[in-house]
Amino acid sequence: MSAPVTAPTGLAGVHDVLSANVVMVTGKGGVGKTTTAAALALAGVASGRRTMLVEVEGRQGFSRTFGTAAWDYEAREFRPGLWGTAIDPADAVYEYLDRFYGIRHVQWVMERSHALDFVTTAAPGLRDLLLLGKIYDLEVQRRSDGRRRYDLIVVDAPPTGRIVPFLRAPEGVTEIVRVGPIQRQAGSMWEMLQNPRRLRTVVVSLLEEMPVRETTEAVAALRETGVDVGPVIANQVVVPRLSDDAASLLRRLGRDGLLTRLTGAGARISGRTTDLLLELVEVHRDRVTMQTQLREELARTCGLPVLALPLMAGATFGAPDLEVLGDVLAMQVGEDGPHARERFDEEELAAVLGAALPAPDEEVAR
Amino acid sequence: MSATPDQPAGDLAADVADAHVLVTTGAGGVGKTTTAAALGLAGARAGRRTLVLTIDPARRLAQAMDIEHLDDEPRRVDLDDVPEDAELWAMMLDMQTTFDRLIDRHATSPQRAAAIKANRIYRTLSSSLSGTQEYMAMERLHELHDSGEWDLLVVDTPPTRSALDFLDAPKRMTTFLEGRLLQLLLRPSVAAGKGLGRMVGAGASAFMRVAGRVTGMDLLQDLGEFFRNFEGMYAGFKERADQVLTLLQDPSSRFVVVASPEPPPLREARFFLERLEQEGLHAAGVVINRIRPEVPQDPSDASIARVVAGQPDDAEGEALAGALRLLGDVRNLAARQRRDVAAALYGVTVPARIDVPLLGLDVHDRAGLDAIATTLTTGKAP
Repeated sequence: MSAPVTAPTGLAGVHDVLSANVVMVTGKGGVGKTTTAAALALAGVASGRRTMLVEVEGRQGFSRTFGTAAWDYEAREFRPGLWGTAIDPADAVYEYLDRFYGIRHVQWVMERSHALDFVTTAAPGLRDLLLLGKIYDLEVQRRSDGRRRYDLIVVDAPPTGRIVPFLRAPEGVTEIVRVGPIQRQAGSMWEMLQNPRRLRTVVVSLLEEMPVRETTEAVAALRETGVDVGPVIANQVVVPRLSDDAASLLRRLGRDGLLTRLTGAGARISGRTTDLLLELVEVHRDRVTMQTQLREELARTCGLPVLALPLMAGATFGAPDLEVLGDVLAMQVGEDGPHARERFDEEELAAVLGAALPAPDEEVAR
Repeated sequence: MSATPDQPAGDLAADVADAHVLVTTGAGGVGKTTTAAALGLAGARAGRRTLVLTIDPARRLAQAMDIEHLDDEPRRVDLDDVPEDAELWAMMLDMQTTFDRLIDRHATSPQRAAAIKANRIYRTLSSSLSGTQEYMAMERLHELHDSGEWDLLVVDTPPTRSALDFLDAPKRMTTFLEGRLLQLLLRPSVAAGKGLGRMVGAGASAFMRVAGRVTGMDLLQDLGEFFRNFEGMYAGFKERADQVLTLLQDPSSRFVVVASPEPPPLREARFFLERLEQEGLHAAGVVINRIRPEVPQDPSDASIARVVAGQPDDAEGEALAGALRLLGDVRNLAARQRRDVAAALYGVTVPARIDVPLLGLDVHDRAGLDAIATTLTTGKAP
């Protein structure tokens, strides 16, 4: 490796996605929200932050991703510097009752009577409030020396369709809950939600027409909540394998020329596969051109920088790929990314990183 | 006619031609609505008077069907090449209207109906109780079925946290509305006296104290009022929920489980297929949406790696190496998707597995919907 590829100056610092205490990761279903949250957490760990990964919807997405046993309410350090927890409203309520009232034995009764289901059903915002309350609780925890227990808390938040009511739960609390510790805490939660140094949301998107439109709408809706939004993370960005010039050269060679040269170089390729390959070249170039346009469009319509995660095109997808994705994110916020350098060459990294840049004047405008 | 779906097999032609209800279901973002629309199109093409009931306000899909906007009233979709009498209509679920109608139908008096509709608990319940949307979709389906106007009803289910939610929705709703628990909570003295009743009654009092402290008493008062107004309606609701379940369990109602070729939605599809079997519901098949076309195995991965490494550092060498790496990428991704599908569906038996290939990018127009409809009814890419 020669001259290192780094994220251009101006991106780090101003838009450093890792700088907030809590990062809520949202996005439309199917865009890779959980994978992106995991990659962000790994970028956090790589930057030396004590990082907590939080699951709120009980899907066990992270335990599958990281190959651990199922996660539960108890926070566990499952690799150095990285903790994980799966929080749910019932456990949060028991914790409250225990802490504020010293009520311990109520759990059995509540489970037995499905009382909690009942109350959270009648007042649905309560459920979100309990989850947010737990996240708040993690955010304010301190070590004995007074520093925060977790430097970075990454939440695999509800998808775009439900994120706004989720974040608005503390505002709506006075409608539902008028006394008690939850009510008192709602004010503190609201302060956390409105402070960009403490909490921000990032929206995951794909560089396809529909997801781009939905992301733009989601960003607009999120801004109305007063919660800090940004950046957008474009997932599954196709890494360019061919430049425009290379594609033209292949077109000029044509089927017979390409077949002759590849066979001559020792590749046993059939005429049929060569035909397909020429088609794939066109699809690939169209795709690369389109995603560049959509990335610019996304940055413009959202008024936010668009970070990118490459589509990992290996024969399998596993924990090592996550490390690479974490590194690619780290590089976009000014850290180094050794795993990413192993997997991609300079040009490929530059292609993913470079187009992620907002134009400098757009940054100022924001 | 069952297949172990490690390979695409079968099609939905018979379902489109003879089912009365087709329900598309699956995780969020897998293309349920598009699949529902394509099935509707196929139904009309098969000569049936077809209605597609969608939950999602998918604007572009409405555009693809040449409808300006969708609402609670069915709208006719212009089709020129369908048999006589065959028609395609589309509508979008309006949850509040459907729920209000349900209340009007079952309330013991108009005053009570009005009181319920004005209650704070009803308003949150009807808009945000998880499963309400699903339940209302099924309720609306039953209304449409009762009207006797439709040969084929295609229902798109909402993007819930879990595709399973909507199967539980009628049960959850009736349990909630039956209010036995609440009766117990509000009037524990009634239940007290008998063994278990006393125990639960005591627990309930403790719960009420806790709930009062945690939430404030207003919530409980509203709940009490809500349930008093609901008294007398439980039987009607329960009966309706049973009718919905009976309709869904009829062999002429079939479920089309949709997944994209990635592990999480595939897992949901598998759970859902298993759940259908447990509940005595009928699967028409599983649709793997937007799967990458297969790529031939020549040249081998080893050969690609060797040739790429041996290319000279000039323009042509780079172009050839890039092309081969591209081929390797696309082949990897296509193979990975097939392995994920096979792993997720291992040991599951379904009447059909249909692969809908990743065509262009999104379905923008009628031609795109047509292509999907053709794939669904023939099992083959157009």
